[in-house]
Amino acid sequence: MKNWKLRDIIVLSSLSVVFAVVYVLFLQVGNVLVGLMGPMGYEVIFGIWFIVSIISAYILQRPGAALLSETVAGTVELLIGNTAGPVLILSAFIQGLGAEAVFAALRYRNYSAPALMAAGAGSAVFSFAWGFIHSGFAALSPGLLLAMFIARIVSSVLLAGLLGKWIADALAKTGVLRSFPIAKTSRGQLSSKAEVS
Amino acid sequence: MLNVQSEKSVPVPRPRLLRLEELNPVIKGVTVVLCVLPLSLVFDPVTTSTALVMTLLVTWIFGNVSWRRWLLLFSPFLVLACGYFWTAAVFPREQPEPGSAILWSIGPVRVTAAAFQVALSLGLRTLLYSALSLLFMLTTDPVKLMLSLMQQCKLPPKLAYGILAGFRFLPLFREELSIMQRAHRVRGAGRIRRTPRSLLEALKRYGIPLLAGAIRKSERAAVAMVSRGFTGTGRRDFYDRIRVTWRDWAFMALMLAIVAFSCGFSYAMGTLRWYNGEL
Repeated sequence: MKNWKLRDIIVLSSLSVVFAVVYVLFLQVGNVLVGLMGPMGYEVIFGIWFIVSIISAYILQRPGAALLSETVAGTVELLIGNTAGPVLILSAFIQGLGAEAVFAALRYRNYSAPALMAAGAGSAVFSFAWGFIHSGFAALSPGLLLAMFIARIVSSVLLAGLLGKWIADALAKTGVLRSFPIAKTSRGQLSSKAEVS
Repeated sequence: MLNVQSEKSVPVPRPRLLRLEELNPVIKGVTVVLCVLPLSLVFDPVTTSTALVMTLLVTWIFGNVSWRRWLLLFSPFLVLACGYFWTAAVFPREQPEPGSAILWSIGPVRVTAAAFQVALSLGLRTLLYSALSLLFMLTTDPVKLMLSLMQQCKLPPKLAYGILAGFRFLPLFREELSIMQRAHRVRGAGRIRRTPRSLLEALKRYGIPLLAGAIRKSERAAVAMVSRGFTGTGRRDFYDRIRVTWRDWAFMALMLAIVAFSCGFSYAMGTLRWYNGEL
């Protein structure tokens, strides 16, 4: 926390605030889908709830960005109308931890598309484990659980990893991120690939 | 949407011993989490419904909550609870008790009494969680929560004020969005149809500029804060001190007693079912 610039923190918080609103909106979408197809309804769009950790980790490229942004988004969600309650902060923390673990395993150096997708999947795995305890998944049949797990992974890879990268790249193209680490990675795709390999 | 506590009517002073609105936000939140954790391990409808009724009573007696707002926020969870109930009843894990009576069956779908019990408790649990969190949400002021997090939980001021700054941008986004929409209309940009592809187009047309605006605003806010001497380091004093009083502990004790009572009541009725290694 000490070596974070105030600018980075405020950018991270306002990203979290924006996506907290998106998260709450998608909760309603999820509720409709759940009404149609049971808990699977949430699983197909679950990835959207991890997107802020992907975007802010990619923009700031700092240890802790994924974890912090997801936790802040969870807290803000709580303030603006997610009725999951204060437990939501814990859930968000665990989801952020999943993405953070992947970025940490890559030593905070690799922010390529596969890395971002893997980070989304990391959140999915962590949040599923948490759902086991918190949402009483243990009462469901193993077949359904497996289907839910696969749906969640796929949705996280696509909705968090790929969509997150697309949004961050589109933002970088507008030029507002010129002074952030993403500018180095995102500007020329070719050079970044050469750097990674 | 922003002002969680925006009650239209003038609050009547109520000389009450315990008011949810005046409790310490952090202690209140911790209490709710402490209630949820043990209840996550219970799989029977009696405990859950007892706890649900008592949570509603606490909200009603100690909180100044608008019931219309409460119902509005609660109703989506009724749908969700029905969804959970349906899935858990029809696709249970292994039949917990092989000899369990079959309640009803349509074709291949059959529901046993044991599965019905677990499903009912899962559905009720969703309702219980949302009742507990509405108790927190509808009685807590966001700014007070951040102040309390800073004063009681040692949340770094940099982060806390950063979040509050981001939070203040929210109303601006709506304004910006309508400006953008009008600007597009003036220039004759086509309306966006409601297909998945054009949703991505809408994201590009409105979402990206909004986010770009958010980042610009954040940078400006950070510069403004730093130039006014905000260092964000450790010890600072607060205009608004959020304290912890005996009332907070009394509230925590009351809520934990409710959880204990629900389990005890269910145990006395012989219906208590813990989660036992169903991993």
